[in-house]
Order: sequence, then C-alpha cells, then structure tokens
Amino acid sequence: MAENTEPRIGVFVCHCGTNIAGSLSIDDVVNYAKTLPYVAVADQYQYMCSTPGQKKIDDAIKEHNLTGVVVAACSPRLHEPTFRTATKEGGLNPFRFEMANIREQNSWVHMHGMWDEATQKAKDQVRMAVAKAAKLEDLVPKSVPVEKTAMVVGGGVAGMQAALDLASAGIKTYLIERTPTIGGRMSQLDKTFPTLDCSQCILTPKMVDVGRHPNIEMMTYTEVEKVEGYIGNFDVTLRKKARGVLTPKEATAKGIVGGGCNGCGDCSAVCPVIKPNPFEMGMAPRKAIYIYHAQVMPLIYTVDFDSCVKCGLCVEACGEKKAIDLEMQDEFITVKVGTAVLATGYELFPVENKREWGYKQFDNVINALEFERLICASGPTGGHLVRPSDGKTPMKVGFVLCAGSRDNTGIGKPYCSRFCCMYSLKHAHQIMEKIPGAVAYLFYMDIRSFGKMYEEFYYRIQHEGAKFIRGRVANVLEDKETKNLHVYTEDTLLGRPVDVEVDLLVLAAAVQPNEGANDLRKKFGVSASQDGWMLEAHPKLNPCGTTTAGVFLAGVCQGPKDIPDTVAQAEGAASAASIPIHMGEVELEPYFAMCIDELCAGCGMCVNLCPYSALSLGEKNGRTVMVVTEAKCKGCGTCGGFCPGGAIKMQHFTTPQIAAQIDAFFAGGEQ
Amino acid sequence: MAAKSYNIPELDKKLADRRYHLSDTNPEFTQKILKTSRTIANMCYQCGTCTGSCPSAPRSSYRIRLFMRRCVLGLENEALTDPDLWLCTTCYSCTDRCPRDIAPTDVIMAMRNLAFKRDIVPKNFLQTVQLIYTSGHGVPNNDVNRAARTKLGLPADPPTTHSYPEFIKGIQKIMDHYELKENADRILKGD
Repeated sequence: MAENTEPRIGVFVCHCGTNIAGSLSIDDVVNYAKTLPYVAVADQYQYMCSTPGQKKIDDAIKEHNLTGVVVAACSPRLHEPTFRTATKEGGLNPFRFEMANIREQNSWVHMHGMWDEATQKAKDQVRMAVAKAAKLEDLVPKSVPVEKTAMVVGGGVAGMQAALDLASAGIKTYLIERTPTIGGRMSQLDKTFPTLDCSQCILTPKMVDVGRHPNIEMMTYTEVEKVEGYIGNFDVTLRKKARGVLTPKEATAKGIVGGGCNGCGDCSAVCPVIKPNPFEMGMAPRKAIYIYHAQVMPLIYTVDFDSCVKCGLCVEACGEKKAIDLEMQDEFITVKVGTAVLATGYELFPVENKREWGYKQFDNVINALEFERLICASGPTGGHLVRPSDGKTPMKVGFVLCAGSRDNTGIGKPYCSRFCCMYSLKHAHQIMEKIPGAVAYLFYMDIRSFGKMYEEFYYRIQHEGAKFIRGRVANVLEDKETKNLHVYTEDTLLGRPVDVEVDLLVLAAAVQPNEGANDLRKKFGVSASQDGWMLEAHPKLNPCGTTTAGVFLAGVCQGPKDIPDTVAQAEGAASAASIPIHMGEVELEPYFAMCIDELCAGCGMCVNLCPYSALSLGEKNGRTVMVVTEAKCKGCGTCGGFCPGGAIKMQHFTTPQIAAQIDAFFAGGEQ
Repeated sequence: MAAKSYNIPELDKKLADRRYHLSDTNPEFTQKILKTSRTIANMCYQCGTCTGSCPSAPRSSYRIRLFMRRCVLGLENEALTDPDLWLCTTCYSCTDRCPRDIAPTDVIMAMRNLAFKRDIVPKNFLQTVQLIYTSGHGVPNNDVNRAARTKLGLPADPPTTHSYPEFIKGIQKIMDHYELKENADRILKGD
C-alpha cells in the first residue's frame, strides 16, 4: 500500500444468523457506516466467517483499493485470525484489520427489548473501529526459534503418558515430580473400572518405560521454582530437593566407584524413626529414610529431613556404597524448554469438613483412597479388608456417593467429581468378591456411568447383589458399643426415611486440585476456572491448550476425569506440545513496544516497570536509549503508558490509534 | 380423561386418574414461594437429604422433599391442602444440610403463609394465635411449670409478658396490623 494516500476502509457487518441480527438493525448499522469518513464500502452478510463472507472482504479490497478492513461481528478471540487471513488474501497486510465486537459486547447482552439502544451501540462500535482502522500500519510478526526440549510437570499417569509420547516423538523431555517416585494416584489404586485390571500391573510397565527412555530425564523429588520466558524459550528453575541419597550416577560423578543407592533397603532397616507413610494414606509406617512402596521408580531411597535425627545408623549400614549424605542441600537447576505440559493431578477434599458424615470422628468411616489401600494386595493389610476399630472383616459396607461433590453450600464442591460413581461400583464388586456374604449398600443421587462399558458395569454390579438406595446421606451416627454406623437418609424412590446399620462406611469424597497446583499454574501464567481447576484455552476446541502459548494441560489438573480420559488428554497435550518444537519456530504477534530513539531521554524509568524484564538501556548513535527485547515483550503497555517523553510506541495500540477511537466515541456520532 | 364409571362410588374413587396434568400446575405458585421464602426453592434436585434429616419424617407421613417437589412443579392445591404441611417442627436440620443451600424450612413457612390466606390452618395453630394475643405466649406458663421454676430457685414467672403484662399491648398491635387474631377468630367461628 502506498503511504500518504487517503485511507479507504471497508466495513462488513455480520448477522451471525440471528445472534446479532436478532437484537439490532444490521441495515441501520451498514447505512450508518457508509456515512463515516474514509469508508469506501459497507456491506453485510449472514455469516462473515463463511467462505462467501470472507470472499466479500477479499473482493472488496481489490475492487475498492482498500487500506483497512473492519468487521463488526463476534469477539476477536474467536475470529480475528479468520479475518486477518481474509485481509491477507485480499493483498493487504493482515494487521490492517480491526474488529468491532457487536456480539459478545452488544447483541448477547442487550437481547431483550433494547433494539434501538443496541443498534446505536453497534454504530458507536463501528465508528470507533473505523477510526482506528484508518490509522493502522503494516506490521510483520516476529519469528523466534523453539528450543527442542519439553517439560512435563507431574509424574502421574497423565504426566508419564505425555512424557512418553513427547520422548517417543524424538523430543528430549524433562519429567518433573515432586514426590520421590512417579506413578501418582493411579499407583495407589487396587483395580481399575470397568475392566478390573490391576492398576499396578498396567502402570508399572509404563513407569519402567519412563525410567528407561533415552529421551526422558526423570527428575523426582523436584519442584518448579521459577518460570521465565515465553513459548519456545522457557527458562525453568527447578528446586532439586535434598534427597539425602545419591543415585549411582551422582555417586560416580563424585568419584565413588560402584557406589550410590541400589535400593537394597539396609538403611531403612536400621533407621529408628517411624512416621506414617502418605502413600498408604498414613495407615502403614515408614522410616525417616524410605521408599513409598516396592515398585517405586526410581528405586532410590529418600531421607525425610523433617523427621531424621541424623543418628548416622543408615550411613553405617550403607557402607561402601556411600550413597547417603545427611548434609545434602537443595540444589537449583535451570533448564531451557520449548513447551511445557502441566499434569499436577488431584487430591481428595477434606471430607471431615462435612461433619454430618463423621469422617475423623468415627473409626469406621473411611475415604475412598483409604479403601483402595485396604483392599489392595500390596496395601497395609495385604488386601484383607478390615475395619479400623477392631480389625474385623466388615460384612455390611456402605458407600456414600457425592460426598462433597455437587454441593453448593461452600463447604463441598459444586462440580461432579466424575469418577466416584464408577469406583464405588468397583468397590462394591471388590467386597462382594473378596468377602463371601458381604453386602454393599450404595447411597446415591444419580449413578453417572457415562463411559464405554460403564453402564454395563453398573448392570453387572447390580446383578452381583449390590443394594442401591437412592438418597443422599443426611447424617451418620455411631453405635458406641459395636462401633457400627447408622446411615440416615430417605429412600427417595419409596418416600421413606431409612436407617441402615453398616460395619464400615466409605465416603466417595470430592476431588480438588492438588496442594501447590495453584502456585504452579501462576508461575506458568495459566488461569484457573471458576471451580479452581486449571483453565483450558477453549472447553471444546482447545481442551489441552491454555491461554499461555506453549503451555498445555493433561489430566485431572484441568478438571475431574477418569483414567481413559486422562490418558487421552495427555496424548493430546503431548501432540500439541510437540507441534511448535517440530515446526522449529513460532510467530509472535508484533504487538511489542518500540522505542523512538530521538525522543528517548534514556532515563531508564521504564526498565524497572516492565513485568517481563523485556527492557534495558543501551547505546545507539552515541546516546543512551531504551532497547526492547521483542521476544520477551508481551505488549502490555505499562512502559508506553508511563514514558514521560512519549518515546515508547506500542505497536498496533499506538497513541494516535487509541486517541482516534476515543475521539470517535466522544466527538463522532449522529448529532 | 374421564374414565368409564362403574357407578360404585368406592370403586370410582379407587380407579380415578391419579396422574397430574399440566393444568394442575401453577407456575406463579413457585414464584410466590421464591418471593416469600427468600430461598432458591426452584433449585431442589430431590436428593432426600432433607427428609433424611427430618425428625418428623420417621414418625409421620410428612415428607419435606415432596413439598419441595410440589413447589418446583407449581402443584399449589396439592401442597396447600395437604395436612402434612403443618407437621414441620421448624428445627432447620434440613436447612443445615441441604447440598443446594436451599432453606426447605422457609419454603414450608412460605406455604403455610399462603395456606393461611386461603383459610387453611389447623385449629391448634389458630388457638395458639389466640393465646399469644391474650398472654404473649404460644404456650403460657402453668402451675406445673411455676412449681418447677420455684423449685429451681427461679421466679415463678419468666421475665416475659408474664412478668410485664403491659407489653402485651404491643404484641397485640403487631398482630392487629396483620389481622391475625381477627382471621383466627373468624376461621374458628366458621368451623
């Protein structure tokens, strides 16, 4: 486009079916647009985003020799890329396009009986967009190279799957796990629904694959400390927590030949400190130097420095291997990665907060993860389900579904936790299978058996003899003599209150984001949705992405989901995270700040204001001026708004452009 | 739909159509309850926590969940003419535990208000109105109580309108404003 020519703007108003046309007059807006300065053509179409709609833009640019395009339609978040492409097709620079959001910000919020007002507002919006479009400039996106490595945070089944996929696609992948072993929640489960596969049996091979994969650098007992940078170039600082034990590799590096931990367990045997094992939900002991369970990956012991008394017995027991270092300190390592997948999982919500169900008040009320450990062959009881009060085998077991889920009181969680129905059916099956004559009572509101072969599983469990009582449990009381529990609810199908006496009661507690997940997501610039889970870029069309380019989500950290969905999302996230890496470079929107050197006084006040450390001072033509690292700049405008000399130009949001919009709003319009 | 009659009243009653029809529902009833009860009564999902918590339910035919259902559907006549409406003890256990954070007790109170407007009130409630009007107490002090209080070293009468009868006038003024006594007298007289 030739400079210094009078701007020629094309305005296109979209009906969006009746989404816009149903709430305001399209014709009025189009006719009004024709009267605006610089407008060379104004047109309308039912769906501007469709091929014929885009063709209109393409044709008009050529026919009317346009210098700028305005589309009055939906949010730029939805179709700005679409119309930029159309603008480019027509031969203009794609940044010569401006959008007026007359759907989300107009027709959808002024739907009922505000026809004239909505039409007026749409005219204002179009006038402002035209004013800006007349001042738009050609911009060129900047390409930056992408680091050919990825990071996965969280070593549960989601993180493991994502790491395996990325690594198998030829990408070096760091798998970060904050506990001493990968495996996550799935390794705590006994069996998985609806196939009744042994959870450990299908997970352990995957854990071994992760440990062996040449492209995976597994870092357990490690947390993310700091994240800097942007897509393609994240600098992630990791805190490698002091484990107190050297791996064979670390030992070799220190010159201890043939040393390092081989997982023999001699240290643990002599350790005098006993603590509850969190892997067993605190129902089994561990020492101050410990592993969670026999299948841990990596098989390296860990010293719990919070409880270690530094007696040194373990060091003696370890002997020549010299694997134990009780003076070990946390280490910080910075790695550079191109993309990251967050897979931080979930924990159970503190169900004792719902006091009416008696968790932590009555011995024989347990939560579902405790049940998993008690029924698991590798658990603290060797798979013999016992009740905590007396170690007897329970013959009547109650299951409280929606224990804290679907709860709007502010104590529980308003959402459905999605897998409790299914695992409670599985639990019912397990007790009936393992304990002859045992009866399962499931107290439910709805059985949500939505997945493949899930409804069939429900059928099977009912056939096996489980009793389903449709009523949410109102309260639970304990018989002080027998420690049995009375479960009170209404059988809503009979319309009768019920009092069921059970030996053991299992609460299918709601799930919530893991502790620390909130801090982690902030480090990566990921938003949270209303319910506290991490926010995906689009709930339907981009469920693995986030609003931070290069950061992806996998598994329950994004919202409750069962194992099949978790693995599927992990594979999706890995695929999405591998795209920029395989492309080799990414385009950044050219919205960065620009220093007008002649105006810059080199005061440097902007440098400290920048939240992204994108600014610095440098020498140019013998003067000290501000220099922008364009790849780091997010175009937030903090510096541009502050600069006392007006020396900073925010591209695509320049002062003349914004001032023109404001002027158009206040000074323009029908008088 | 009218069914064929056997001309035997008992049998006709037994075989009558029990389905509810949309013509039995009154959407305004739901709105009235929402306004009067100031709770999101339309949001009940029928989990049964209320009836499960109810001290009245195990010993009576009172099912608060059914009243919540009638409210959601707008089954006005069925709700207001059911004598079970008056079996709530207003202990608020259901309100404490409702997972949807509804106050079912307040829904019952709203329904009782609407029933009163149609002169549907059990006698004992009306007699309570009369007692409050004359004594300031729904359950006035009696000799047994007085003896018990004296034995415990308390004044025979509590520090209420029993000790300060001059305040009864104020109570009467409030009740007169709502024509409570007047209506109670009228309904009782009509019986």
